[in-house]
Amino acid sequence: MKKKLSAVAAATAAALVLAGCTSGDTNESVDPSEDASAAAGANITLWLMGGDTPEALREYLRTEYADATGGTLTIEEQGWGDALSSLTTALPDSDNTPDVVEIGNTWSPTFTTVGAFSDISDMYQELGGDSLLQSFVEVGKVDGANYAMPYYFGSRYNFYRKDIYEAAGVAVPTTLGEFSEAAAALTTSSMSGFYIGGSDWRNGISWIFANGGELAEVQDGQWVSTLSSPNSVKGLEMLQDLYSTSSLAPATESDSTPWVNINDNESTGAPEAATIIAPSWASCCIGDPIELEDGGVGTQWNDDVFGVFVLPGVNGGAAPVFAGGSNIAISAASKNQEAARVLMRIIFSETYQTMLAENGLGPANLDYTAALGDNQFAAALIASAADSKLTPAAPGWAAVEGSGLLEEFFGKVAAGGDVATLAAEYDALINPLLNG
Amino acid sequence: MKTGLQRHTLNLVAITLALIWVFPVYWMLNSAMLPNRTLQSFTPTFVPFGGSFRNFRSAISDGSFASALGMSISITLIVVFFCLVFAFLGALAISRFRFKGRKSFLIAVLLIQMLPAEALFIAQYKMMTSLGLLNSIIGVSIIYIAAVVPFTVWMLRGFVAGIPAELEEAAMVDGLSRVQAFMRITFPLLAPGLVASGVYAFLQAWNEFTVALILLPEESSRTLPLWLRGFVQASATRETDWGEVMAASTLVAVPVIIFFLIVQGRMTAGLVSGAVKG
Amino acid sequence: MSSPVLPPQRTPEPAAVADWSPVARGSHVNQTPEQREAAVKAAAAARRSKRRARLLPHWLVIPAVAILAVGTGYPTLWQLWTSLHEYGLRQQFGQPAPFVWFANYTQLLSDSQFWAVLIRSLVFCFVAASITLLIGIAFAVLMSHVGKGPRLTLQIALLLAWSMPIVASMTVWTWLFDRRRGVVNYVLDMIPGVAMNRYNWLEDPLSFFAVAAIIVIWMSVPFVAFSIYAGLTQIPEEVMEASALDGASGSQRLRLIILPMIKPVIAIVMLLQVIWDLRVFAQIRLLQDAGSSATDYDLLGTYIFKLGTGAQNFAGASAASVMVLLITITISWWYVRKLLREDAS
Repeated sequence: MKKKLSAVAAATAAALVLAGCTSGDTNESVDPSEDASAAAGANITLWLMGGDTPEALREYLRTEYADATGGTLTIEEQGWGDALSSLTTALPDSDNTPDVVEIGNTWSPTFTTVGAFSDISDMYQELGGDSLLQSFVEVGKVDGANYAMPYYFGSRYNFYRKDIYEAAGVAVPTTLGEFSEAAAALTTSSMSGFYIGGSDWRNGISWIFANGGELAEVQDGQWVSTLSSPNSVKGLEMLQDLYSTSSLAPATESDSTPWVNINDNESTGAPEAATIIAPSWASCCIGDPIELEDGGVGTQWNDDVFGVFVLPGVNGGAAPVFAGGSNIAISAASKNQEAARVLMRIIFSETYQTMLAENGLGPANLDYTAALGDNQFAAALIASAADSKLTPAAPGWAAVEGSGLLEEFFGKVAAGGDVATLAAEYDALINPLLNG
Repeated sequence: MKTGLQRHTLNLVAITLALIWVFPVYWMLNSAMLPNRTLQSFTPTFVPFGGSFRNFRSAISDGSFASALGMSISITLIVVFFCLVFAFLGALAISRFRFKGRKSFLIAVLLIQMLPAEALFIAQYKMMTSLGLLNSIIGVSIIYIAAVVPFTVWMLRGFVAGIPAELEEAAMVDGLSRVQAFMRITFPLLAPGLVASGVYAFLQAWNEFTVALILLPEESSRTLPLWLRGFVQASATRETDWGEVMAASTLVAVPVIIFFLIVQGRMTAGLVSGAVKG
Repeated sequence: MSSPVLPPQRTPEPAAVADWSPVARGSHVNQTPEQREAAVKAAAAARRSKRRARLLPHWLVIPAVAILAVGTGYPTLWQLWTSLHEYGLRQQFGQPAPFVWFANYTQLLSDSQFWAVLIRSLVFCFVAASITLLIGIAFAVLMSHVGKGPRLTLQIALLLAWSMPIVASMTVWTWLFDRRRGVVNYVLDMIPGVAMNRYNWLEDPLSFFAVAAIIVIWMSVPFVAFSIYAGLTQIPEEVMEASALDGASGSQRLRLIILPMIKPVIAIVMLLQVIWDLRVFAQIRLLQDAGSSATDYDLLGTYIFKLGTGAQNFAGASAASVMVLLITITISWWYVRKLLREDAS
């Protein structure tokens, strides 16, 4: 496998040199029609994570793929919670591997470094090149070669209760310090000014980033956990302070479903939270209760009561928040490399990218973000995503996430532990995992 | 044998305990009738007044229920049947005979259950792909039978041991062949044990999902627990509809209850007295 | 083992049974000459087939042995092999796995977290298994003493609890114990002077495991109760009636007749319960989803899961599994030996 990988890498390097020689005209190094003819009639499988890709988009992929190759595209859905074990077993197995696979963006470095994916550097320009979301491209790279590409991105911003802010005479904060003050001022015994679970590291890391800290850095060629760096500690202390003054959420809660707290509860007629931070799609589930056509009860967004704002940075602007989303790659073990490349082209086509955006998913190719719309949600999504950050591109990052150490660490910080001591302790626990 | 009052008290105790034990089940049914918003209310709704069957309708609306039900029924019946046959033969051997390797068999069967299963999935996957049994009913069934047989052997061994061999011998003296004696005397006496083990095997196969997740990656071959898990993990862009999850759970539980109602009579029917007198 | 009332029926002696000599034992029944003749014939036939009979038990265990060899044999051997190598995601993707002797084991044994999890698991297992067994036996005895209606009600209730899919039962239980909308807090809060509204059961590890134990016990009692009840129904009614006539009290009957007769079933159910509670996994993992997945809330099952699937240290997870196997053997060894000795007598 190792041999194969380096051989592929060498070939790619050669191809890149060639591409460079022909003054960037990348079309010469790839001929899409060649792939299509080689892929004729091939039946392939695509693994999608969760139900995020709507049915209409899946149907589009199936139809387009059939038109292009005459083969069948089978789409299998994998649950986020169980995907790691399925990927671990299926990806190396050439008889059963999915040909194209969506993976959580933060898992990309782990699977890419072990050689799970095919080098598709030669397609990079064709798939969108520099228009692609670069932070996602970076986590899919090893030694300068592209293995995993962005699929879609989401972002995180704040949802707040306009009615409560107005009643309390609190203005929408413009700096992170003001945010803490506003949250504290709004907090009552039954309502969090800012509801954040103590173990919610995916949101909590924004405070580290905002204060100039990092989760991990490369030092002397090795990844090193940097929770205890001065800037990280500063951010964590700010978060700890915010949590203790403004959040009634348990220290053990992670980021499951914060939005239920900002809606009026049926029994009290009041919300549990004046502000929450949530992924961009949470607007689906925030609003006044309404009766649905089929007899169920849903929510209806109400501009008089609810609003959104981007988490402000330390000195104003937007704080770097965690960039959620997925990458997509071709399995190295796939026997249908050409057919898989055909599917990749369909996914990165203007039509499909636009369809993603129209469904509220940040498109991999930033040229098509306009299709997200121009409402407040799209604006907040784009504004927060512009400064968003990803978790470190360390080979062992999936292991760090999988081990649950971050939930544990943030939970202990929220519970009031000494930040510097805890940070040093967890740096020591995370370090052995980081380099894979 | 008992005074009426004692009997009444015991009856009352039994029914009270039954109510306590069944409460979470009731809560599942109750929640299945209620909309999500009511489930998130801080005041529990104890009776689903104003509830509806909407959750049930939407749970089965996408049609994958039928295929998952088919998979689960096939796998479970295979597991129950083979598990009982294999275990019954094994239990018979160890409780009615002494033979070389008997002790090792007993110990091996016990030890196998002590190994935690959480780290076995890679090996199970590798084995099944090399046998070409990935996504097949047979592959998953083999793992399930192997997981349930050890318990069933020991369980049935206890039951066979509880039946005096003299009963069979007496019947043989009465002119029955050994097989006849066994089938007519011992086998009926084993019914409660077989039913208890069968129910156990049924439930294990019916509710298992971690092995199924690895060995049945194709959507078309998913079992009911995987189907159910799909509702919980439905989507990152859609709130989990807990009412729907509960409705789906109820649907998954119904076949088990039907199965039990079919076999429960065997568990209690006038068993031993007649045979002993024979 | 003797009883003032009636000698309890002993487990038949397998050696004698295998020889299967009905003539020697044919004195139970008043025999007619024809029967005696048949018995003699049967004995002759038995002698002829003696050789065949000697091989018969081996034939009987073959299917079980075969399925175990296929279904658990290979995975177990793989686990042993892996635990002696370096095996992570790289190795899973085809890179060589260097042999590291017992490095994975020494690393595990020097990890204080592993020891903490181990001790926690042992305590949890002991508490949950013993309570389960006590309640299970009580339910079984109760079932055999009540009328048909209440018995069926209890049986169906237990079965309903048992048949609930684990995903569903864990969801319901976490709702029942939810800090804000749970029925448990709601009901406790109604007691005057008790303020339980918003009490978070899953925050403190001790109450987290108390909740976990309640759920595990609730799920396991039906199996124990059914198995032991099935054992009880095997006791001939005559035995019970005779003992009642002889004036044995209820507790005497329980101690001297019932318990010895269902001992084989109780013994195995107890051992299995210990094994299962020691490796309980799904309940804890799903409860962690509602509470916290920090190490303080881990038992062996979730610890191994996090090490393997979570952190992709498959070799470490295999080593931990083998350790758990060894530990389970150690703590149950005296018990297994006792089982085997009784079996041999």
